[in-house]
Amino acid sequence: MPSARVVKNRTEFEGKIYEELALVQGADIPAWSADAELRHVGRSRLRVDGPQRVSGRARYTTDLMLPGMLHARVVRSPHPHARVIRVDAKRALALAGVRSVVDRTSAPELFDEEVHYVGAPVAVVVGETEEIAADAAHLVEIEYESLPFVVDLEEAIADRTRVQRKESYSRGDARRGFREADIVVDARYTTSTQLHNCLEPHGAVAQWDGERLTLWESTQAMFDVRKGVAKAIRARLDDVRVICDYMGGGFGSKLGHGHYSEIAAVLAKRLGRPIRCVMDRREENLVTGNRSATVQRVRVGATKDGKLTALEHVAWSGTGTEDGWVASTTGPSNGLYEVANVRSEQFLVLTNTGPFSAFRAPGYVEGTFALESAMDELADKLALDPLALRRKNYAKLDPQSGKHYSLKRLDQCYSRGAELAGWSRRKAGGTAGRHAYLRRGMGVSTQVWGGGGGPPAYATIHLNADGTAIVRAGLQDIGSGTKTAIAQIAAEELSLPLERVRLSIGETDAPYGPASGGSMTTASLGPAVRLAAVDVRRQLLEVAAGLMEVRASEIHLTDGHAVAGRGGKKLALDEVFSKLQNYTVIGRGSRHPNPEDVRLRSFGAHFAEVEVDIRTGAVRVLKIVAVHQIGRIVNPLNAKSQVEGGVTQALGYAVSEGRVLDRLSGHVMNANLEDYKIPTVKDVPDIVVEFVPDLDRRANNLGGIGLGEPPIIPTAAAIANAVANACGARVRTLPITPARVLEALRR
Amino acid sequence: MKSFSYAKVATAEEAAGLLKQRNTRLIAGGTDLLGLMKERLIEPDRLVDVNGIAQLRGITATKENFRVGALTTLAELAAHQATPLIIKEALADAATPQLRNMATVGGNLVQRNRCWYFRSAEHRCWLKGGPRCLAVDGDNRYHAIYGEGECRQVTPSDLAPALIALDATVVMRTDEGEDSLPLAQLYVAPTARHRREHAVGDDDLILAVRIGGDALRRHATYLKFMERATWQFAVVSVAASARLVEGRAQDVRIVAGAVANIPWRVKAAEDLLAGEKIDDARALAVAERFVRDARPLRDNAYKVAVLRELVRRAVLRLKD
Repeated sequence: MPSARVVKNRTEFEGKIYEELALVQGADIPAWSADAELRHVGRSRLRVDGPQRVSGRARYTTDLMLPGMLHARVVRSPHPHARVIRVDAKRALALAGVRSVVDRTSAPELFDEEVHYVGAPVAVVVGETEEIAADAAHLVEIEYESLPFVVDLEEAIADRTRVQRKESYSRGDARRGFREADIVVDARYTTSTQLHNCLEPHGAVAQWDGERLTLWESTQAMFDVRKGVAKAIRARLDDVRVICDYMGGGFGSKLGHGHYSEIAAVLAKRLGRPIRCVMDRREENLVTGNRSATVQRVRVGATKDGKLTALEHVAWSGTGTEDGWVASTTGPSNGLYEVANVRSEQFLVLTNTGPFSAFRAPGYVEGTFALESAMDELADKLALDPLALRRKNYAKLDPQSGKHYSLKRLDQCYSRGAELAGWSRRKAGGTAGRHAYLRRGMGVSTQVWGGGGGPPAYATIHLNADGTAIVRAGLQDIGSGTKTAIAQIAAEELSLPLERVRLSIGETDAPYGPASGGSMTTASLGPAVRLAAVDVRRQLLEVAAGLMEVRASEIHLTDGHAVAGRGGKKLALDEVFSKLQNYTVIGRGSRHPNPEDVRLRSFGAHFAEVEVDIRTGAVRVLKIVAVHQIGRIVNPLNAKSQVEGGVTQALGYAVSEGRVLDRLSGHVMNANLEDYKIPTVKDVPDIVVEFVPDLDRRANNLGGIGLGEPPIIPTAAAIANAVANACGARVRTLPITPARVLEALRR
Repeated sequence: MKSFSYAKVATAEEAAGLLKQRNTRLIAGGTDLLGLMKERLIEPDRLVDVNGIAQLRGITATKENFRVGALTTLAELAAHQATPLIIKEALADAATPQLRNMATVGGNLVQRNRCWYFRSAEHRCWLKGGPRCLAVDGDNRYHAIYGEGECRQVTPSDLAPALIALDATVVMRTDEGEDSLPLAQLYVAPTARHRREHAVGDDDLILAVRIGGDALRRHATYLKFMERATWQFAVVSVAASARLVEGRAQDVRIVAGAVANIPWRVKAAEDLLAGEKIDDARALAVAERFVRDARPLRDNAYKVAVLRELVRRAVLRLKD
C-alpha cells in the first residue's frame, strides 16, 4: 500500500488563490510526452452518455418521482424589503391535497422575519402534486410591513452604508506611473446583471431512511451540498448521501446547497415522506444567483510608443443581498499585462435584489470587458494596432508573483487567431458593408484565467474479471463532458476500449472529488484517475508476468495484450482475465500538489468580426475566432463544444442579455426566457476554434489544465472593440443594444 | 393555474351559445391564453375549445379574393402558395416554428399585449384596472412612441400590420349575427371605460379574414426589428403597400406595429408618397414625416430612429 502524507497546495479557484492542506498517496508520474502514442487521450470521442442525454433516458433530479413523494412550493415576497407580520395559511390548507404550510413560526430555521429582495422565501406549501402546491401557494395570505429599499446599483453606490471594500492590490507606484505617461485613457464601464438560466432548474428531492438522508440534487458540488446540508440539519456526514447523476447546467450557480435543499430535507423528515422542491423558470431568474452588474473605472497610462506605465482599476459589483464575497473583477488588470505600476480596488455593493453567485469566470468576464475595451481606446489614441499594443505589453513572467508560467503561449494565440480572423483586413475606421448604412469591423481581446485544479481528488478503479473497468470517483458531470474525459484517461492507461470503462460517479459515497467549478474538474480529478489506472496496470502486469513466466518489469501493456520486451512473448489480457475468475483488481489514485515554482494559468485570444447598422444600431456578430492555450486537450471534440458554448453565452452577455429591474417596485421585469434574451441558434455566428498544441507538462500528469471558463472571458470586449472599429461607436455599457449603439454614434 | 371546466364544440352556433356563460373563454391555439392563465392574469371558469369547428379552418383563394379561416395556423398560412408575400414575410419572423404550428390567425389578431407591467401578476397596471400606467415612470424601452392615452402598451402582432396594409376585413360572429368590418377598426386604444386593446368581446367569434382583389395586386413588404435574430416580439415593425401606376405609387398604406396602442398609420406620410415616384429622397421624406409626431418616453427614443429607417427601407422596397 502506498503511504499517505499531507501536503500544502495552492489552487486557483474562480480567480482567487487558496492555500490548503491535502492528503496524497504514493508518488506522481510525469505527464505523457508530446510524442507518446496515445490511443484515447487527445482524440475526439463522442460523449459516453450522449445516447442517454439525447434520447431522454438520462434521469435528472427534476425527473425523479419517488413513491409517496410530495411537492414543495415556496411562497415568495413581492416586496424588495419588508417585515413579515403575519402568515395566514387557512385558505391554502383548505385546498384538497395540501399537506402542510410552513412559515417562520413553525420553521424558524428556514425563514427570516425580514425579507430583502423580491422573491425572498416567506413560507412553503407542501401538496400531493406540483399543481396543487402551486395553487395553494397563491392562497397563502401574508401581511407585510414595507421597508425602504434600493435596487439600482448606481443609487446604491452613492449610499456608503451599502458599499464595502473587499479587495485591493497594488504594485509599484501608480501615481508616479501616471505622471510618466504621455497618454492616459480614463473611462467608465458598466455591465448588466447576467442570469444563468440553467436548462435544468435548481432543485432537490429528499428522502429519509431512519437517520439517513438521501438527497438528489442538481449540483456542481455534491460534497459541498453534503457538508452544507449536514450542518444545516445537524446531521453527520455519513448520514447524508447526495446524488447527482445527470445534470443540466450550473455555470457556477449550483456550487453549494440551496434553500430548496434545506426545505426538502427538513420537511421530508417532518412529514415522513419524500419531498421534491424544484424551482420554476421565474424562480431561476429571481433567486438562484446571477453575475453581478458592475460599474468600473479603468485608467491606463502609456508612453507615446505604447508601453504601459500605470494601470488603475476600481470596480463596484452589485452582489444583491450576498454580503460574504465578491467576484474578482479587477483580476485581469492585476495579472494580464507587464506594467510596473498597478492599483486596483474591488467594492461589494448591497442592493435589495436576489443574491449573486459565481457565474462562469466570475469577475474576469466583467473585468476583461473593461480592461480590454480600455486597451483598445488607448490603441486608438496612440494610433497603434490593438494587437501590437497588447504584444508590446506582453508579460513573460507572472506580473503578480514574478514567477514563470508553467506554460504561456498567448503570443501564439494572438498570431494564430489573427491569421484565422484575417486580421490584416482590419482597417482603422472599419470597412464598408453591402449598404451605405452597414459598417464592418474587427476587434480582439485577451483571456487569462486559472483552472490548474489541484488536490484533494481521489479515484479508485476496479478491474473486473471480464476485463471491464469501473472508475469510482466523487465526480458530477455538469454537462461539460467530464465523464467522457475521465473514461478516456482510464482507458488509455488500462489499454482498454472506451466502452469497457464504466463510470460510477454522481454520489458522495464515492472517494472525494472536487466541485465542477473553476475550470478545475478534469485537471483535479484526471491525474488521480490516471494514477489509479496505472496502479491497476501495475498489478495486472504482475499477474501477467507470472503467467508468462517473465519479470513484470520486462513486459508492457499494448493494444489489449501484455507483451514481453524480449522474445516477443504475447498474452491477450482477456486470457489473463479469464484466469482471474472472481478477483477484483483495485487501483487507487490521488491528485498530487501543484508545482510551487511556477504559476498555472490558461491564456487565449478572441477575434470578433461584426456588422453594425448605423441607422438602427443593430449589431450582427459575423464571426468569432477563439484560440486558447490550456496544454493537452483530452478530447478535442468536447473541447471545441466547450468553447462554442462559452462564446455563445458571452455573445448573449455582450449584445442581448441583462436583467431588467423596475426601480420603483424592485421587481425583475424579464424573469422569463421570452424577455430575457439568450442568443438563439440563429444568433450564433461562425465560431472558429483552435488550441495551441503545446503541452503544459509542469501542470500535472495529464499535461493540461481546465477549459470550462476561459471561452466566456474575452468575447464581450472583442465584440465591443469590433463595434468601435466598425463605426466609431464606443459602447461602454453591456449589453450593446441598438439603443446604446445609436447613443454612442451621436456622441 | 386555477382549475376550469372544458368543452369542445363542433359548430360556431354551439360555441356562441357556450361563450355567453359567465367567465368563459374561447381556446384555439392557446399560445397566448394559456400563458395568461398560468400567470393568473385571467382565471376563467370554463374554456370552450373551438378547434373542432371545421369551417373555421383553411384558406380559399381566387384572383379576386383571399380568405383565411380564423383557426388556420400561422404555419399553414405561411406555407400556402396563394398567401400574399407580405404575409409570408410577417410570419417568417413571428414567434418560433413551434408557436407558429399552434397559434391561429384569429388568436394572433386578438392576443393581449406584451407590456411587462401588464404581464406581471404582481403589478396592478392601468390596463388591469390600476390607477396609472406603470410604464410611464418605469422601464419603458419597448413601449409606445405615439398616442395620447394613459396606457403605453404596444401592439404585438406581426400579422395585423401586414393585413391592414392590404385593407383586410375581418368576418365576425357577434350577438347581432355575422358581421364584416375593416380589420383596422378592430383595434381601439383602451379607454378608462374599455380597458382592452381591441373591440372583440369575450363572446365574439372571429370567423375569417379576407383580402380583396385590388389589394392582392399591390406591391407590399413587411420589416421587423428585433434585438436578437428570432423569437422576439417586434421592437418596431413596418408594413407598407402601394399600387404602382407607371412608376407612381397609389393606394399607399404604411402601418407600423409595436409603436402605439393600435397599428399606427400617419396619413400625411402616406399622402406624401401618393402619386409620386419612389426614390431615395422621397422615401426619406416619407419616413421623416412618419416619425415627426412621435413622442418617445425616457427609454425608447431609439425606437423613433429605428422606425424612421424601417419606413424608409419599406418604401424603397415597394419599387421592386
